[in-house]
Amino acid sequence: MPKLKNLEDLEQLRERVQSEMKARTQANTTITIGMGTCGISAGAREVMHAIISELEAQGIDAHVTTTGCIGMCSKEPLVDIQQGDEARVTYGNVTPAMVPRLLDEHLVQGKVVTDWVVGRVSGQEGA
Amino acid sequence: MMAERYRADVLVCTCASCSKRGASEFKEALVEELERRNLASEVRVVETGSRGFCSEGPVVIIQPDGILYRQVDVADVPDVVEETLIKGRVVERLAYQEPSTHEAVPYYDEVPFYGKQMRVVLRNCGMIDPQSIEESIAVGGYQALGKALSMKPKAIIKEITKAGLRGRGGAGFPTGKKWQFAHDAPGDVKYIVANGDEGDPGAFMDRGLMEGDPHSVIEGMIIGAYAIGANKGFVYMRDEYPLAVRNMTLAIEQAREYGLLGKDILGSGFDFDVEIVRGAGAFVCGEETALMASIEGYAGNPRPRPPFPAQSGLWGKPTNINNVKTWANIPVIIDRGADWFSQIGTETSKGTMIFSLVGKVKNSGLVEVPMGITLQDLIYEIGGGGENGSKIKGVQTGGPSGGCIPASMFDLAVDYENLKEAGSIMGSGGMIVMNEDTCMVDVARYFLDFLKDESCGKCTPCREGIRQMLAILNRITSGQGELSDLDTLESLAQAVKSASLCGLGQTAPNPVLSTLRYFRDEYVEHIVDKKCSAGVCTALVRGRCTNACPANVDVPSYVALVAQGRYADALAVHRKKNPFVLACGRVCPAFCENKCRRSELDEPIAIRQIKRYMADHEAGTPWTPEREKKKTEKVAIVGSGPAGLTAALRLAQKGYPVTVFEALPVAGGMMAVGIPDYRLPQDTLKVEIENIKRAGVKIKLKTALGKDFTLDDLLEKDGFSAVILAIGAHKSRELGVPGEDKEGVYHGTQFLCDVALGKPPDLKGKKVVVVGGGDTAIDAARTAWRLEASEVTVVYRRTRADMPAFVEEIEAAEEEGIQFHFLTNPVRVLGNGQVTGIELARQQLGKYDASGRRRPEPIPGSEFTLDVDVLIPAIGQSPDLVCMEGEKGIETGRGSTFVVNDGLGTTREGVFAAGDAATGPATVIQAVAQGNEVAAAVDHYLQTGCVEKVTCEPEYEIVEQCFDMEEYYKAVRPQAVVCTIEERCGNFNEVESTLDETTIQEECKRCIRCDLEWLETMGLLPCDEETEVEEEVLA
Repeated sequence: MPKLKNLEDLEQLRERVQSEMKARTQANTTITIGMGTCGISAGAREVMHAIISELEAQGIDAHVTTTGCIGMCSKEPLVDIQQGDEARVTYGNVTPAMVPRLLDEHLVQGKVVTDWVVGRVSGQEGA
Repeated sequence: MMAERYRADVLVCTCASCSKRGASEFKEALVEELERRNLASEVRVVETGSRGFCSEGPVVIIQPDGILYRQVDVADVPDVVEETLIKGRVVERLAYQEPSTHEAVPYYDEVPFYGKQMRVVLRNCGMIDPQSIEESIAVGGYQALGKALSMKPKAIIKEITKAGLRGRGGAGFPTGKKWQFAHDAPGDVKYIVANGDEGDPGAFMDRGLMEGDPHSVIEGMIIGAYAIGANKGFVYMRDEYPLAVRNMTLAIEQAREYGLLGKDILGSGFDFDVEIVRGAGAFVCGEETALMASIEGYAGNPRPRPPFPAQSGLWGKPTNINNVKTWANIPVIIDRGADWFSQIGTETSKGTMIFSLVGKVKNSGLVEVPMGITLQDLIYEIGGGGENGSKIKGVQTGGPSGGCIPASMFDLAVDYENLKEAGSIMGSGGMIVMNEDTCMVDVARYFLDFLKDESCGKCTPCREGIRQMLAILNRITSGQGELSDLDTLESLAQAVKSASLCGLGQTAPNPVLSTLRYFRDEYVEHIVDKKCSAGVCTALVRGRCTNACPANVDVPSYVALVAQGRYADALAVHRKKNPFVLACGRVCPAFCENKCRRSELDEPIAIRQIKRYMADHEAGTPWTPEREKKKTEKVAIVGSGPAGLTAALRLAQKGYPVTVFEALPVAGGMMAVGIPDYRLPQDTLKVEIENIKRAGVKIKLKTALGKDFTLDDLLEKDGFSAVILAIGAHKSRELGVPGEDKEGVYHGTQFLCDVALGKPPDLKGKKVVVVGGGDTAIDAARTAWRLEASEVTVVYRRTRADMPAFVEEIEAAEEEGIQFHFLTNPVRVLGNGQVTGIELARQQLGKYDASGRRRPEPIPGSEFTLDVDVLIPAIGQSPDLVCMEGEKGIETGRGSTFVVNDGLGTTREGVFAAGDAATGPATVIQAVAQGNEVAAAVDHYLQTGCVEKVTCEPEYEIVEQCFDMEEYYKAVRPQAVVCTIEERCGNFNEVESTLDETTIQEECKRCIRCDLEWLETMGLLPCDEETEVEEEVLA
């Protein structure tokens, strides 16, 4: 490993290593993927991998977590996006191909992708 | 390099303690399972240091959800992966359980152990991989260093001084001041040292820090070295901490590789490097001058100060020594500022303190709390109170140099000054919680024994003084002590304290002095009574069962005799100490079973059931107690409860003519009119009262003191030489709320008495509310239920766990359908003349009281009412002093009990008191013990004229072991046999029945015979006759 010659070197190193510890640092956004048997068989794992690499590529801060079957099996893979105290938005029948647009519009531009939404739960109830 | 991105991090604590419990195996299995399921690229496993919850280890935290699993095992791996890591569900059985509700608390930040903590120094411990400098940097490591290097050294020292940081090694010297001395000392070569020589028994704060976050120590040292002007530092740690040594070594190497140690750190031109010195584990090396000698390669002996290390330290150069925890505080102060730091804590003690909370406490481990937290919060809230619900007696702080603080002082706010004032010290952060099973004399003895070995021997006061104090304590704990020893101990302690060379000797007497200050009665008990209530001091404890019994009944012997079917012999052993075998076989709370050592293996021996069987078996054989030659002095006893009748029996056996006066139409006191028939049938009790009469005791019923006779009559007219007042505690306490004088308010003791005397009130179809949480309350409720009340409700102001009534009784009441309102207290009694209802207020738990229970306080606006036909207050009892109204010269004290001296004599010559009337409400067995004691005292008085404590030499049997104990290793305790709920309603038939002979004999054989072990230890085991015979034959 290269020696840190000055403060800038240290700060650069910090920035780089921080991104490896996203799961342990605070994030305003949580993306939850349905990983019940129904979700997995509908391709939830692939969707999740697509989400993780897209977040990395776009440099977005978000926690990715999983949940079991919530009873809406026909809409799997289901992806929930919760930002701060805002309403939790649920997208259905998500495929890896949909992920770039989903993250770009919802997280970067801050617009809910209404075409794909299957439901919303207000922040209070969602918590 | 493209950074890897994981959706989840599983933090597995692999600290020294979790590793011992299989954390590494769990981690290996988890990694394997993740690979097998193709999750290795999404989920990462990180080995971390300790998060401090050591009693629940191995501990795992799953991020980002913040789920905490504890006591995980390899077998749990598939569930953790399948449920949590794939499906995002909590595995409840692995979550921490709230002890009172058994509810799962799966999230780290909701676990009460962490709730009152403030993790500043330990912020990264358990959250990062301590072997990775990158993780440390990612969470802010070396950020403060960057800031510090841009500051002037003087400004850093000023900041630390302003923060008010004091040394965390124990003495609490202001860190900024210490640095200033080292900074100002002339010389080009200066050193700094991190003291990680942690040697207090049970303390592991330094280890936890060095294992879990070594970089915070190193960063603090670099900043300190820069401020002082040192270019070389040493970390002095114990070789017995291999993981701490490894992590610290790795951390230093990694810091060097990044150039954070070495030449020209971060381009500042400042050079600094650190070396680890491994000590061999001598306690005295924690003392700074001894530590420096050790670093220099000499024997770890202290030397006098001055010169202080700041003037002349390592190799004669200015040296600054701080504890590793002090160093770890530095980056936080620089990073967040002195103002932020100094707002935490008290006036004189700023910041947080790390304690290793251990001993008889439920949640043990490493905790970090703000200075000024109360011991109550620390021990009851974070620590969760006594282990297995036991009662906490005190806490030992500061290790062998510290002292013990009693539970009554737990409202003390923890800081350097308060602990010192209480006779202890902050020390390095050791905190050992002690309960009723801890003997304070033994604690003092233990620490002196430790210090005797650790004293370096250089100065005489420490070397010899500790030895002499230890010799005295050894004498006391083996029953050979004298009261004058206590004065000798105190003067020796003062001498060692004032004349020793270094801190070890100067503080060595603290454990002795503080236990003498707060627990002197335990010393006196060992010396005078030759007893160790905690059951610790081997020489004084023949068996923990016998030791726990107030009357010291020889339990192992009668249990062994019952095993052989020798019931009459067994009964004779029991009666030597307690004549109420039938009664106690039914109602005794069995203090013996609570302390039974078999429970460490599985469950305690069913001693009460055994007692009950042997008594029932022999109930048909009348017992005529043996008597000594007739004496002439007559003794009068007022009250025929267990205390009065036991005293009567013992004095009659001594040959005295004894008359018992009883106000009620039946004898037996509370056993007859307080304990309902379904627990103790009156006919059964009568059998035992007849035995006592057979000893020659006259019982005069319906003859009341104050009405039918006075004490003057007895002592002056009727020729009695001594009187024992054993009037019990029959007066029920008032509720203290408006309206309680209405019709339909029926006090618990009166109610139970009327039912026992065959005058039960008509409760059929009525609504009954009982107020209280003790045995009288439960007895009253269950009695009302048997009288076919339509609804019976018990109202109690605290929680169920706080109820003083026996758990079995509360459970039985619940089974019978009695309703309970916990945390509820009466406000007023409603109705016009006749009770129609009661207004109640819900309570919330406030501050802890001296008993370690939280005090209930009314919640404003929470009032509600219950319909009531009959209200039964049962919130406590005291002696009914109406009978004493015409009497003079007899003082009463706390709770209206008689004031008595050591010999149970009252303030009037020739008049004694015993039982509930002297002690306040207690159990049958405690009253029996008082009866024995007062009889011995009266006998002594009649023979010598002196009223003083008489210590009876214990009489023990030695009963042979007749079966192979190994065969009973797996035997289980039998269940009690009780009748069904339907069979109980509307009658007072006994609920529990006696077990059968085979079951009882088999149960006796589960006893592990501690008494024989004791005989062996004491060298008193009689020769085995058979072996002797065989040897003779062989010869």
